[in-house]
Amino acid sequence: MRSDSLPSLLIVGVSHRTAPLEVREALVFPRGELADALHALRAQAGLHEAMILSTCNRVELYGREGEAPAGDALQSFLHGYHGRLPELPASCVYRLAGADAVRHAFRVAASLESMVIGEPQILGQVKEAYHTAEAAGTLGPTLGALRNRSLSAAKRVRHETGIGRNAVSISHVAVELARKIFGELKDKNVLLVGAGKMSELAARRLVREGARATVVGGRTFERAAELAAALGGQAVPLEALRSELAIADVVISGTGAPQTIIKTDDVESARRSTVARGRHRRPLFLIDIAVPRDIEAGVARLDGVFLYDLDDLRSVADANLRERRKEASAAEALVEREVREFLDWQRSLDAVPLVTELRRRAEEIRRAELARLRQRLGPLTREQEEALEAATSAIVNKLLHSPTVHLKEAARAGEGEEQVGLIRKLLGL
Amino acid sequence: MSAHAYLLLTLAFYSVGLVQTVMHVVTRRPLLGPATVAATLVGFALHTASLSLRWMEAGHFPALGLHDGASFLAWATVLVFLLTYLRTRLDALGLAVFPAAFALVLIAALTRPGPGVPPAVAGLFLPLHALLAFFGYAALFLASALGALYLIQEYELKARAPSRFYYLVPSLERCDTLAAQSVAVGFALLTLAIVTGLLWSYEARGRYWTGDAKEWSALVAWGLYILLLVARRRTGWGGRRAALLGIAGFAAVVFTFVWMAIFPGVAGAQR
Repeated sequence: MRSDSLPSLLIVGVSHRTAPLEVREALVFPRGELADALHALRAQAGLHEAMILSTCNRVELYGREGEAPAGDALQSFLHGYHGRLPELPASCVYRLAGADAVRHAFRVAASLESMVIGEPQILGQVKEAYHTAEAAGTLGPTLGALRNRSLSAAKRVRHETGIGRNAVSISHVAVELARKIFGELKDKNVLLVGAGKMSELAARRLVREGARATVVGGRTFERAAELAAALGGQAVPLEALRSELAIADVVISGTGAPQTIIKTDDVESARRSTVARGRHRRPLFLIDIAVPRDIEAGVARLDGVFLYDLDDLRSVADANLRERRKEASAAEALVEREVREFLDWQRSLDAVPLVTELRRRAEEIRRAELARLRQRLGPLTREQEEALEAATSAIVNKLLHSPTVHLKEAARAGEGEEQVGLIRKLLGL
Repeated sequence: MSAHAYLLLTLAFYSVGLVQTVMHVVTRRPLLGPATVAATLVGFALHTASLSLRWMEAGHFPALGLHDGASFLAWATVLVFLLTYLRTRLDALGLAVFPAAFALVLIAALTRPGPGVPPAVAGLFLPLHALLAFFGYAALFLASALGALYLIQEYELKARAPSRFYYLVPSLERCDTLAAQSVAVGFALLTLAIVTGLLWSYEARGRYWTGDAKEWSALVAWGLYILLLVARRRTGWGGRRAALLGIAGFAAVVFTFVWMAIFPGVAGAQR
């Protein structure tokens, strides 16, 4: 396979793999400046098309070269635009062209190049970068096609492999565990004890899936009321903790209290109370994200009670990350197939101008001959006219069918140029 | 082709599911790809053909003895699994069903059909009894498999260190709910099977109850399941204890089946 089939596509950039944070942050393009930067980039490097992907883990310039090679121009633009770095270490910057650039673009969108492999944000960031370029008018047919195919490949990776399947952030792990226990979270009662940032994050996810939130207030009841309002739930005073425990399905505790505030006895009696019994002894999921811990460790021994502290959540997250790495090879294979398809398709485009020309020429001849024939035959009935049209069109189409198919195939196999030349010569085009 | 040839082909197609199951546990790729489902469906069709031929060969409903019993039980299990899968899309059930179906068909393939059975087995009650019993067994097998999945998942969650099965098994609630439904269906079928079994026994032997070990174990299973159903309904039992009781009930069912398979004569003929 020829790798120079897309000589015009170029990517220059830095990422978490090649550059330390100091370098990356110096090169970030603020969102508001992107449109101007795109225009400047296109003008300075003489590009036909341009796109800038700027996230906290990578800054990349995508371009379709004009007549002159633009690699150096892209690199100096990356360095010079901000003027914040005295120099850009060469080892930090990678430069990819043609098929390699295509592969890289696909891999980035599919989250195979991400710091946390399989993380979902990158897809949105890539989408937005293309969108910005489109709005700025710097997106053309090549980058446009790259966008469509790489984003659809990324979606396939997400759906068909397990690369993004298991949660790797603490709050997400908590929600995933809740789902493992309860299946559906709709109408489950979530009890928040303490109103910390991480409890809020986890509670938000649970509420989004249909759970109801109740916040237990501590010394500062206002804070609890505020959080409850934000979560669409209600706030109750600390004295109500025991009775709330009896109807809770998920408890997220994250107070700054120096000693445990939920004791084994509390949970046991709550579970034994009539309310709990009426609720068919459903499981109880306790999440303790406080340091020092809020919930007595003995609670975990109770039947149907699942207790996770911060370390437990972290170890689940780590295990999930190992799972993702295993799934990555399936994703790699899928992306590779999609890249190949894209490259083949791009090459088959080489034949398009000639095919169009061939058809145009044939159509010209057909019309000219028809016009002459009409003059000779005099006026025709509508049926005769239609039959004549149909017959001549059929002749043209049948004659051109096989060369069209052949040309496209040859182009796809990378032999387009010679054959195109030959056919041009033969047909005098 | 003979019934036995069809059975061997069936075995080959069911082995696709078995291999997939092993792959699933090792690689955690989704278990039931379209290819596996298709292979299982083909296997099931061949299996049906095998059973039909065997029915013609034997001249009576082929459900007695180890060979026929194992084959028929596998057939019922696969059918119940396919129906359940259509409704729930629960891959993990394959973990229990494919090995079981494969093993049962293998047993059937390795054993010869028993000698001709006395005319006592003719009549309508045997096929009816066998159908009800075997579909009941299949449903109760799924229930116990779901119970086992529940116990595994609960263990994984309690241990707080997810390992292999954490990623394969559905949520606790899902296992519990489906197990309860399977037990309800299986219990209804088992009850009807016991009733038709008694009627058949009366028709064949002039006695409703012969005191055979199989009859006692069926009764024990029935008792365990009624306990489970009542406990679920009245006291909101569920989860681990329900799973354990479901498994215990199924152990009695297995004993009933094995006894029937090894001593079909006791079931089939007068003592």
